[in-house]
Amino acid sequence: MEWKRFGFIAFIIVALFSIVVLIGQARDPIPTIIISMAATTISVATPLTLGALSGVFSERAGVVNIGIEGMMLTSAFFGWFGAIYFNTILKFEAMPSLILGVVIAVLAGALMGLLHAALSITFKVDQVIGGTVINILAIGITGFFNRQLFFEKNSIFGGNVPHAPGTLPSVGQVPFLANVPILSNLQPIAILAIVLVFISTFVLFRTRWGLRTRAVGEHPRAADTVGINVSFMRYVNVIISGCLAGLAGAYFTLESVPSFEPLMTNGRGFISLAAMIFGNWTPLGAWAASLVFGAAQALQINLQFYRELIPPSLSLLQYPYIVGLTPYILTMLILTGIIGRTVSPAADGQPYEK
Amino acid sequence: MSKKLSLLLAIVLIASAVLSACTPTDSKPDCSKPEVFCVGLVTDVGKIDDKSFNQSTWEGVKQAEKDLGAKVQYIETTDSKDYAKNIATFADAKYDVVVTVGFALGEATVAAAKKYPDVKFIGVDQTQSETIPNLAGLIFPEDQAGFLVGALAAQMTKTGKVGAVLGTDAVPAVWRFGEGFRAGAMYIKPDIEINVVYHNDVGFDKTFSDPEWGKTTAIAMIDKQVDIIFGAGGKTGNGALLGAAEKGVYAIGVDTDQYYTVPEAQKVLLSSAMKQLTPGTFDLIKLAKEGKFPGGNFTGKCGYAPYHDLDSKVPAEVKTKMEELQKGLIDGSLQTNVAPVKP
Repeated sequence: MEWKRFGFIAFIIVALFSIVVLIGQARDPIPTIIISMAATTISVATPLTLGALSGVFSERAGVVNIGIEGMMLTSAFFGWFGAIYFNTILKFEAMPSLILGVVIAVLAGALMGLLHAALSITFKVDQVIGGTVINILAIGITGFFNRQLFFEKNSIFGGNVPHAPGTLPSVGQVPFLANVPILSNLQPIAILAIVLVFISTFVLFRTRWGLRTRAVGEHPRAADTVGINVSFMRYVNVIISGCLAGLAGAYFTLESVPSFEPLMTNGRGFISLAAMIFGNWTPLGAWAASLVFGAAQALQINLQFYRELIPPSLSLLQYPYIVGLTPYILTMLILTGIIGRTVSPAADGQPYEK
Repeated sequence: MSKKLSLLLAIVLIASAVLSACTPTDSKPDCSKPEVFCVGLVTDVGKIDDKSFNQSTWEGVKQAEKDLGAKVQYIETTDSKDYAKNIATFADAKYDVVVTVGFALGEATVAAAKKYPDVKFIGVDQTQSETIPNLAGLIFPEDQAGFLVGALAAQMTKTGKVGAVLGTDAVPAVWRFGEGFRAGAMYIKPDIEINVVYHNDVGFDKTFSDPEWGKTTAIAMIDKQVDIIFGAGGKTGNGALLGAAEKGVYAIGVDTDQYYTVPEAQKVLLSSAMKQLTPGTFDLIKLAKEGKFPGGNFTGKCGYAPYHDLDSKVPAEVKTKMEELQKGLIDGSLQTNVAPVKP
């Protein structure tokens, strides 16, 4: 593992937190600031982490996936629709509806993954074009069904947006965890995202499956010669990628806010890809990079809180969006190879011809 | 193989393009006849029944249908690149009045007003820098609405900390809400702590449709003991209201009475900073019908929504004070001193 890169990422996160603590300590106690920053960082990082993991699985198997954004959006919609359908039409309780909603979101992601796999593996379409198709298709189908199902007069809900069953509860609902800072604010998908980082690391680097996945991403011909079914490996990994993007989509409508808005993923699928590259195509790296993006977002929000406290010598910080550029500038810096080399899987993006 | 495939891709792309574009198809009245009075409405990116901006304006248009016998129609914009095209659809069909909803349509509306001098244009939330005789910008003193709810927040807070989660301050209306809120809170309690956060880091197309950001930001404020959240910025602001509802602190909505638009936040919704969109739109349409259409800027009214479920929680002296402030703002004895646009 590259300690240099991790040290760098940790340094950036600490630096971003320190700026806010130094400015804000005049008004709020330091632990309050740190806890609040950490909570914001983790919730912003959740969909990015899942999106980046999605990218890692797909690209480690040699399939470029720029359709993560579209997969997230599709799943966000269908997960939300599923939860409302179970809750309103089939009269399920709120909690089972939400869980079924998450399942549907993951399945919707899997279907989009299957579509991407079919396009890029069976039909050998240029994978960037395939991903673009998925992104455009997602905008179309979510917009269309959103209108047809919720706003047309003869829809199953009769033209009224029914009440959503709410959002997944936070850990604070469990009695003995209610007062633990940070942890009590976490919701199931946020926790699952972190668990999945470690599972993914184990699967990719400690199991036979992971070795084969990486083999078809690095040198598919060699893998084929030793009897690995390249197409099958790629199919399954792209579908896993879709499932992870689906879980990220579920975060938006079932965990964060109980509503769906057209285009609500707002480019986070693409930021996930940046996080994946930042993290050098490893799950742990991708997670760390997502936290950098989350911390940058938290910094932006908090600097606006403390606008009056920013000393005139640092007036540049009064423009939060300049600070918001930090992770993007860092991503570019990392790509230039200043902090260790960033190496993509050798066969990433190349269709395999027998 | 590749030919079949490009065909498949083409079909998928066409299908998604067709699916995403939705234009209502009712029987078309003949608007070119002078006796037929037609009013068309072009929404900002969003739905006609958003229970907010588009819908309140549309209700003004529908009132014109009922009271003035106008033929009315709307087009929902699905992509900001289509503004000019959607406006032209009505203008080419010889509609008498075209209403465009939202700041973002400002440029397209000015261009259309110059191109179609015979059509009257109403630009909701569009401040006019030059007077075009056939274009009226329906604007609101948002700073007054913000001032009122800011004053309300300052009177209701227990921790002495209030917060506002807004869309981008590059939109003057949002700026006036945010700074009006600040001014109102300071007016009541000069030493109050006010957190005003704008979603400036993304483009115009995203700043109002990011509920996840709104909620995260609201919760970050509540973590710092802020106990009243003013959410102003379309769906982004709604996200902030939901965050407040989840944490059980008071929330204040914007534009319309959000008691009806965000039912999940009903139990914590103190009030909303309202623009009277429906009467403002109707008044302008009526003036157009009577041939007294005013070019330039037309100022509508602002106010605050009823307390609904929290009515019993608001002390009588606060209610009296709020009425006093509103009266003062309307008769001009009280000034918000907020710059109309971000300096």
